[in-house]
Amino acid sequence: MAGEMMTGNLAAAWGARLADVDYIPAFPITPQTEIVEALAKWCESGAMAARFVTMDSEHSMMTAAGAAEVTGARVFTATSSQGLLYAFEVLYSVSGWRAPLVLVNVSRALAAPITLEPDHNDVLAARDSGFLQIHAETCQEVLDSILMAYRIAEDERVMLPAIVNLDGFYLSFTREPVIMPDPERVKLFLPPFHPAHLGFTASAPHALGVAVLGGVPYTYFRHQMHLAAMNALEVHREAAAAFERLFGRRYDVIEGYRLDDAEDVLVMTNAFASKGKAAVDAARAQGRRVGLLRLRVIRPWPADAIRQALQGRRAVAILDQNLAPGQGGILFQEIAACLYHEALRPRALCSFIGGLGGKNLSEGEFRAIFEQTAQAGVQGKGIGPVLLYTEAEHREMVQLQVLAGALKS
Amino acid sequence: MQAVRFHGRGGQGVKTASRILGAAAFLEGFRAQDSPIYGAERRGAPVSAFTRIAKEPIRERGLIAHPNLVVVADASLIQDPAARVLDGIDDCTVLFVNSPLNPDQLRAQTSLPGRLTTLDLTGIALQQFGKRGAISALLGAVAGRLVGLRQESIREAIARELGDLGLAASAIERNQKVALQCYDAVPVMTIEKGAGPALVAAHLHVPTYEPPTRGSARISASANSVLRETGGWRTFRPVLVPDKCNGCWLCFAFCPDGVISMTKDDKPVIDYDHCKGCQICVHECPTEALVAEREKEGGVAWRAK
Repeated sequence: MAGEMMTGNLAAAWGARLADVDYIPAFPITPQTEIVEALAKWCESGAMAARFVTMDSEHSMMTAAGAAEVTGARVFTATSSQGLLYAFEVLYSVSGWRAPLVLVNVSRALAAPITLEPDHNDVLAARDSGFLQIHAETCQEVLDSILMAYRIAEDERVMLPAIVNLDGFYLSFTREPVIMPDPERVKLFLPPFHPAHLGFTASAPHALGVAVLGGVPYTYFRHQMHLAAMNALEVHREAAAAFERLFGRRYDVIEGYRLDDAEDVLVMTNAFASKGKAAVDAARAQGRRVGLLRLRVIRPWPADAIRQALQGRRAVAILDQNLAPGQGGILFQEIAACLYHEALRPRALCSFIGGLGGKNLSEGEFRAIFEQTAQAGVQGKGIGPVLLYTEAEHREMVQLQVLAGALKS
Repeated sequence: MQAVRFHGRGGQGVKTASRILGAAAFLEGFRAQDSPIYGAERRGAPVSAFTRIAKEPIRERGLIAHPNLVVVADASLIQDPAARVLDGIDDCTVLFVNSPLNPDQLRAQTSLPGRLTTLDLTGIALQQFGKRGAISALLGAVAGRLVGLRQESIREAIARELGDLGLAASAIERNQKVALQCYDAVPVMTIEKGAGPALVAAHLHVPTYEPPTRGSARISASANSVLRETGGWRTFRPVLVPDKCNGCWLCFAFCPDGVISMTKDDKPVIDYDHCKGCQICVHECPTEALVAEREKEGGVAWRAK
């Protein structure tokens, strides 16, 4: 097997190193810390020519990242969960400045109650922030996506910041073989950053993100951000082709797995999509014609690609590893919306909520998903949100409630 | 529906005036709605406020594009394009201007559309209160008279709104008294209903992407605040009484806009093109060498360019 064993966190750090970033403002948070530790070490040893600065919080970290980016520096930073939320206000400013930095988010479920393992309520909270979003399934994809993110974000047709997401623990601390891209080829893929609208000259100051009142200029700039984000679909296509030419690996905005003849399709994102693919294989072995669609780029929303992949299917199940209380699955809503105008839309859309706080998705749960989805397809009536929780898990929970004094045994 | 638009400068009280008018209409059993719009809440900056009065439910919000009555608290706003005082005015619109000039004199200075009426509210306030301050009660009373509200409801509305602002009972009574004098004194113009503009679907522009040099919220022009003359924001100007000046430089130090420079013999020189008339220098001067003088139409040092 080619490559070397590497965690998702180290792969992320290598992405920043190979992108030859100039500035890294940092603040540690589990399960992201290994990324900034690796970068700090490389900056200190001289292996990287970047300036590494530890800030007092994620809010300051994002502020410094955006401020440095608008001087024309290439900036990398990373956070997770509560840290992303603490930086939240600044995300919107950075995208409004059209500052194309790359932020790695290591997904971790949000407090309260506090936990360390992943789900995607953290990164999806930022879905309207103006950041592009790429969600990775493997450690290799983490590294490669960071390089692609810089190329797409810095394109004159886009100029928006990007988040590359990887799951805490399941990728961040998981080692698997990663092929290191050749640095000389990375230079071909990612030319030096010379933005026309950013940069710093002391004698010629300019103001960014100025106050605009009355709605007319504000609307213009927000429209521009939307158009820029939509342009990223085409720019991604070009970047994917160039990346494949140089490195032999291909990443599109979505990934289909055994979709060709699938009558029912399961939609997933991130690291658990690997388990989903195994479940597809298992279901196929039992004669079910199922496939998996992995959403890789969440922003911009690749509506056409999703429609094309899902049109004419009998039933589609969306497995959301997030929960909007009082509504359900976030991605379910977006998929339902983009299929509405499709004449050949699936007969049933099913919503499943699973993997919250890193909770395992068992083979049995996948089997239940495929069975319920097939039945919904036959009946032509969607279901959900189905809150995945096994009886065994519930018994475990009851035991914990006894220990916590919530129940008398 | 009566749609009344107020224009003034931060600190003059047009927001409260719009509330007095709204409250008075409400007290008379009308449906009423009042709202202000302003930027960063700076004293002297243009402020607008809106009051709608109707018998039927009011299904409009925000700014009034086609007012029946426009109340202008400060005549210098008419020349300031940013204030948009004359927007949407037609021949039916009644325009009230707080000015010592009569309508003919005012028209001789500035070409004004609509049907004009004036009263020197600032002069009356100075005379009756003996000091500078907000003229919200006076503006509210004049507007109330012009839209046909009763004296009693204006009186009660002033008590409610100024009470909410924490004014003492004695100050509220003085305001009521002077406001009702203005109510009686303002020359009345009957408000007529204009036809309004014909309704057609808007021509929508389809936005297209522009490179970030153009499409990002960026200003690369060199220092340009000198171009934005704010002298017209003043209702009062600081004026130096040279004999009293002790050359202490406190006015220079306290000026928040950097418009005071000092001569070689330690006397302040005020840049009236940019002085906003905040009067902080007047307040801080230990020898009362700076005094506030009312700006007069036609006699202003600053004119819109």
